[in-house]
Order: sequence, then C-alpha cells, then structure tokens
Amino acid sequence: MKIAPRVRPGPAFCLIALAAVSSASPTFAGAQERFRRTPPLPDAQPQELRLPPIERISLPNGLSVATVYRPGSPLVTLQLIVRAGEIDSPPERAGVAALTARMIGKGTKLVSSSETEDMIESMGADYSVDVLMDYTVFTFHVLEEYLDRALFVLRFMVLDAQFTERELAFVKRTAYDDLRERKKSPEFLGWRQFLRTLFENHPYQTATYAEDVIKFISTKDVASFYDRFYQPDNAVVVVSGAVDGATVGKKIGLHFATWIRQPVERAVPAPPPPNARDRVCYVEDPNAADATVFVGNVIMAASDPDFFPFLVLKHVLGGTTHSRLFMNLRESKAYAYYAFSETEFFRSCGVFWARARVTPEFIVPAAREIIREIKALSAEAPVPAEIEEAKSFLIGNLPTRLESLEGFADWLARVVALDLDEGQWDKGPERLKLVNVERVRAAAQNYLAGKPLVVIVGRPEWLGLYLREFDTIEVYDNGGTLKQTLHK
Amino acid sequence: MNKAARSLFLILLTLLVPASLPAAPAQEASQNTLGFEFQEYRLRNGLRVILSVDGRLPLVTVAVAYGAGTIREKPGQEGLAYLLENLMFQGSENVGPLQHISFVQKVGGNLNATTTLDRALFYQTLPSNYLALALWLESDRMKSLAITPAAIEKTRADLFKESQDRLASDIYLDSFALFDSLLYPDYPFGHPLIGAGMDMLGLTESDVLTFHRTYYVPDNAALCIVGNIDTARTRELIARYFDSIPPGMDIPAPPLPDFRQDGEVVRNLSGIRASFSGFHLGFRFYPLQTGDAYSLKILEYLLLKGETSQLMDRLLNNRNRLAQHFSGTLEDRRGVLALKIFCLTNNADMVERSEKAILSEIDRLRTNRVSPDEMAKAKRMFKMDYLRSQSTNLGRALFLVDAAFSGKPMNTLGGELDKYMRVNPSILTGLVERHFTPRNRVILELGKR
Repeated sequence: MKIAPRVRPGPAFCLIALAAVSSASPTFAGAQERFRRTPPLPDAQPQELRLPPIERISLPNGLSVATVYRPGSPLVTLQLIVRAGEIDSPPERAGVAALTARMIGKGTKLVSSSETEDMIESMGADYSVDVLMDYTVFTFHVLEEYLDRALFVLRFMVLDAQFTERELAFVKRTAYDDLRERKKSPEFLGWRQFLRTLFENHPYQTATYAEDVIKFISTKDVASFYDRFYQPDNAVVVVSGAVDGATVGKKIGLHFATWIRQPVERAVPAPPPPNARDRVCYVEDPNAADATVFVGNVIMAASDPDFFPFLVLKHVLGGTTHSRLFMNLRESKAYAYYAFSETEFFRSCGVFWARARVTPEFIVPAAREIIREIKALSAEAPVPAEIEEAKSFLIGNLPTRLESLEGFADWLARVVALDLDEGQWDKGPERLKLVNVERVRAAAQNYLAGKPLVVIVGRPEWLGLYLREFDTIEVYDNGGTLKQTLHK
Repeated sequence: MNKAARSLFLILLTLLVPASLPAAPAQEASQNTLGFEFQEYRLRNGLRVILSVDGRLPLVTVAVAYGAGTIREKPGQEGLAYLLENLMFQGSENVGPLQHISFVQKVGGNLNATTTLDRALFYQTLPSNYLALALWLESDRMKSLAITPAAIEKTRADLFKESQDRLASDIYLDSFALFDSLLYPDYPFGHPLIGAGMDMLGLTESDVLTFHRTYYVPDNAALCIVGNIDTARTRELIARYFDSIPPGMDIPAPPLPDFRQDGEVVRNLSGIRASFSGFHLGFRFYPLQTGDAYSLKILEYLLLKGETSQLMDRLLNNRNRLAQHFSGTLEDRRGVLALKIFCLTNNADMVERSEKAILSEIDRLRTNRVSPDEMAKAKRMFKMDYLRSQSTNLGRALFLVDAAFSGKPMNTLGGELDKYMRVNPSILTGLVERHFTPRNRVILELGKR
C-alpha cells in the first residue's frame, strides 16, 4: 500500500486559500456574507445634472423662439407659449383664458374642428393645452419627421382661429362638465378655497372660478381675449429634441412670418400680502369620507434668494413619508391617513401648504398640530442632518422629473414663460448644495413666522360635532359661496 | 492528485471561472430600430440579467420581475400573488419592514411594484451613484425575505380593506371581473388579481411560504438595469449581490390556455346599481398565427386609439353620439390576446344600437379594405406610442422585461417595429375574417334590456 506523503501547507498557501475562499463567489447555501449586513455607500463621484442650453432667437415680428438640443430619441416636442393665463381673464369674465385656449383648434375659415383633429392624429401626434395662472402652453409631441407638418398645423390653428357659436357651445359644455366633475374631489375643493381666500382682492383670485361663470362667456369675449394676448410679441415657440436650433428657427420664421406684430400691454401683478390673521374656512362637501385640511400661506417667487432654502424647509416639514408631518400626524398621533407639504410658484409669488387627510373627530387637533409643526420650524431651524437629508432628496429627485417627454416639456416651458434663470433650469443642485442652517433659518423666519390660513373640507354635520373649538369659522358651499360665519 | 492539491486546484478553478456565463450573442446592430442597445446574460443560479446604458441623466432604473403572477394561483388562491408582492416590502434579513421604501426615497428615488398575469414586478429609479444600494435591497429580499405570520396578517388585512374600498367606490368593477371570467373561461387566465378578497382570507401560512419558495427564486426572475451605468462595474455589483443566491427547485411550467369556447357567449348582469346601461364586448384570439399579434395591435389603433379612430368616431361623435362612455384596448395575457370594449349608454335602446354599430364597423373591415390614409394614421399613432414608451429608463426597463417574459428572442427586438410597420390592409382583412367570429365573441350586458 502506497501512502502519499503528507504535505503540511505553509502560511502562504493558507493565505491564498483564505483569500480564494473569501473572494470567490460563495456556495449557494453558505452563511450570510458580511457585505449584506449594511447598505453600501454611494459612488464617491455622483454624476451631475447637465441639461443642454436653451438657445433663443427673436424673429422680426417679435415672436421668440427657444430650442433645446435633446438627443437620444426620434421624438420632438413643439410648444407655443402665450404669456396669458387665468390671471389675465377680466374679473367679470373669469374663465375666458381657458375657453380661448380650448377654442384653438376648433376650426378656421377653411378647416373644420374634426378635420384639424384628423390632421393631428394623422401625424401620430399627441396634442394638449394647459392653461396656468400666468401663461398658456399648446404642446405637440411628434415624430421628428413630422415637425414641419406640426409647425404648419400649429400655425393655422393659432393664427387662423375662428370662434363660432356652435364650437363655443360645445367647449363650454365640456368645460362646465369638467369643473363639476372636479368638485367631487375634496382636494380640489380645498385647494380652490385656499387660493381664493389667500388671493382675496388680488388678480390671482380670478383663477379660482366655479363652473357657473362659464355660461356668461360669449364668442365676443373669446375673440377679444384672443386679439389682446395672442400676439407674436407675447408668445414663444419652443422646440426640444434632436434638432438643430438654427434650422428650426428658420422654419419657424417662415411658418409664422404672417403673424403681424401688435403691441401687448400686460402688467405683472404685485405679490399679494400673506395672510396675517387667524382664519379658518370650512367647505361643505356632503359626500366627503374624511376631512381634508389645508394649512399654508403666500411665500416668495421662484426667483427669490430664499427659494432653495425654502424647498429644504418644505421637505423637512412634509416632503415624504419620513418627514415631520407624516411621522407626527400619522405614525405618532394617528390623526391622519397622510400629511404632506407642497409649494407652487407663480410669476409674482408662491404659495406653500400642508395637506392632510384626517379622521373627522381629529380635525381640530390635526390642524393645530400642523400649525405647531410650522411654528416649530420658524422658531428653531432643523438640525444639519435633517437639512442634509432634505438636500440629498431634492438633488437626487430633480432628474426624475425631467425624464419623460411631458416632464421635460413642462420644465422647459416654465423656465421660458416665467423668464427664470439657470438655477431653475439645471443649476438647482448647485444652488441646493449651498443651502445651510443659517439660510434655512432666515427663510423660515421670513415666511413661516406669520399666521397661516386654515381650510377644511368636510361634511356639513361635522361642523357642530367636531369644530366647536375654533373661535370663528367661515362656512362655504362647494361652489365657494360664503354661507355663514360661525362664532364660538 | 492528492486531496489538498485537488482542493487548491478547485479553488483556483473557481477563481478563474467568471461569476456569470454569457447566454446571448451581441445584438444585431444592423437592424436595431430601438434607438438603444442592450446586453443580456445569465448568472450561474439562472437569474436573467439585462443591461442598457443611457447617460442622458444621472439616473438608473433597477427592475426585478419574478414569474409569480396570478397565472400561478390555483382555484381558491385568488389574491396570493398580490399578497406576496406586498409582503416583499415587509422586510428581509438586513432590511426592516418598509425600509426598502425609505432607503430609496431618502436619496430622491421613486419606486413601485405591480402584479400581472405572468409576473410580479418591482422597480425603482434613483440617482445612478446609488446603484449598489438598489442591488443590495433587491438581492436581500430575493435571498432572505422575512415572511412572518404577523406580516401576513397585517398585509392581508390592509389588502382586504383596500379591495372592499375599491369595490364600494366603483360600481362597475365587479362587472369587469365577471367579463374576464367569461372571456377567459380557463381559470389561470381569467381570474382577477384579488376580487372581493374572500379567497385571500382563507390562505394559510403554508400557502404563502410554498408560493414564495417556488416562484421567488433567481432562475424564475429577470433583473433589468437601465441608465447611467458602467457595464463592467454593474456586472461586478450584480455578481456580488446576486450570484450566491440559491436557485429554485423544480419550478413548474406556467399553464397553457385551454380554449373551450364553442359559440358566442351573451350574459346579462341585471343586479348592478348603475345610473347608465351598458355592456362589455370582447373577442378572444387564440391560437395565433405568425404575425397576428402585430396585425392585431395595428387593428387596435385603427379601431380604438384617438378621437378619430373608427369606433371612437362612430360611438362618440357629437353629431350622432351613441355612448356616454366608450373605451377599449387589446390585451395580451401570455399569448392569448383579446380586444375588450366597455361602453355606457343612456338606456337599453342605445345599448342595442351601440352593439350593432360596433359589430357593423368590424364587419365592414371584411369587405371594405382599409384606406391607405387610415392605415398610415394607425401606424404612426402606434409608432409614436411605441417610441414614447421607451423614452425613459423605466419605460425601457419595462419593455425589456416584457420582451424577456414573452419568450421572444431578444436579438430580434431591434427589428420589431418594422414588423408592425409592415402590416397592410389585406393582412387586416384576413385577420378579421379568421378571428372576428361569433365563436370568439363574448358580450356582458349591464342592467335590464
């Protein structure tokens, strides 16, 4: 019997074997590897957000053109921005801005509404119109080979628009039905009352109309609004996609050369003052399953230096399910199903609000807790770790909003329409990195120290049952009409 | 070779063998109309990996799909696949309950999950420098999901309440489930995600564990990563986090459709508390010939997409409006396709007129060839949607996962759009002749006639 010599492995072999065992893929059934125990660190050098520049030219008739070279897709977005929004409707004809925009594409002297629709769909294009507070955007998403044709269709839709009684009647019925449908949402009712109260006696209140005003608008009103604002001096054509800016600029010049320059007078309203007194509005919604609570106030415009510090504050307050409001109102006190904070920015100002869906019996404590959380931020700035976490979220989340065609188009239109700077284009992350405790503290003291407005949406019977603790409550119906003011 | 030397040899061999084995050749570069490239391979445990680079934004999407959809449920197990999808957020060995969500959201990411007939899909989009975090999270729940009786009970109670709320808020929801059961009479293809939730209440812990152990395994899954990635580094990370997860044992093949429909099915659901009369109408297409799926898609656009499509125009045109609501879509349930229409009208008389209008429009396709303009419009609208759906990282990831689950050869995807574009009027005429027959038709009317 032959016995193999026994070889005792030396230390080098042991080290190699150990290294081999530790570095090779372990067997399937092995114990947990150490790297699984803790979350991995991010890569040291995060990729920066870099968007292509916005190239701008101005045509002889005053029409502006903005193009953005966006490669990697055969789809192009074509937009026409008209610098006239809901705010520009005359107060006695609220809603005319929206109806005018909806009438674009509803026929010209030569082409009917259904023929226009057919031309749009024949390109495979997706067409939409958005009427915002300060501006209106007509958007085509189209295959790049149909950009020329889309420009042709856009041109005749806008420049040759005709406003017939028949088409207006149809548009009014659709707008009326849409507004009635939206009233089924407590969130919409609360949001509309919130803006209506904050913007009392301010032009921005014009945007908060109910469906009953629609019936008063005539073709004459629409034509008058169109003649006043749909002018080349007051409009921008925007194209984004894998396109050459100079070539596109020439094409737009050719298509829109017949648009005759007319002076447009349009005043930018002064910012409204913030709410400065204790004020509670209650909107009755007989079908509400839970109460919806809005608490907020007027804040700065997006061009203000406090803008980025305030975004951090908003996130700390209620940006996600880990923020203060959610953790307090839902996880700790069980008053609410959710509680978040949000902001929206117009040309003259912005608004911030906390929004919570609340169990009816907790309406008062929930509203008070939201106010307490807002006050806490104005009294004491968040700790640096909280600020850094908010910055990390905001910087990381920004590119996700620009990924889709719609997201990118909305972002671009906003920057162009409101003449915002590069901080609102792709330098936001750099501005956010500069936000520190001092700047957050200053923004909180500037904008959170006042008295926020409270708007509650709920069933009529909850007033007597759950809201007795408020000193004064203004009670509105779901159309926004004041029914009564209750005193304690 | 002695034992120690053999051990050393085996260790060194392990070091030399790559952690992943190539499974697919490079894509056909010449015919790629996708506008992006991708690569595909498998790990040793069977996990299918698909990578695609898009450096336009500093983002990455990580999607993991398991072949664990409702088709795997047996009678009496309705809701099991959906329950598992939700349990995937209740924690694993190193990640606490709901922490998966908070890890992703804290860095600004978005995430979601969904269960369909043939898969449970989990996905997140987050800053690309956090790719390792997403892989760590997904691999932890693939390797060591914590399924406890308490987690099952809590998740089941939440889902049951959710289903009750949904049924209470949508009076037509029940009718959709009933219509599916008529259109797809074979249980695996026709039962709903959760329905009223009653089956789910009867599921045992053993049902849940068995389903998880059988289907939530790497060799029954696909991992797709799209975004601002370095492929070499990404492959390293994938090997690190996924390669040591054990494969499954004896994963059953998904059931095949059992087509038992012998004639037109017409049913009435009279107990519905709705203000409108209406109906569901559908055609089921199985088995299909080569190319039928592409032709049916173009037919869907011709009939149903856009305000000026043939059926939309016929039913909703303001001059002669028949319906108050009209919608329809072509559905693909693992190779069994169905054209489904839902229509609400003011009264029973309009139900009859609407049904006749739909069937006559379809019949017209047998004799009147579709015009070149109509054909071109339908194709352009389809092409627009097709390209648009792939314009985001998530869209591309879902497209690639869908292709992987459909069983299509991945190296033919680059030429897929051309197959849709080659559909012509005579192909559509033949398609209608073969498939739009009373034998394949199901109608469910709502309310009394």
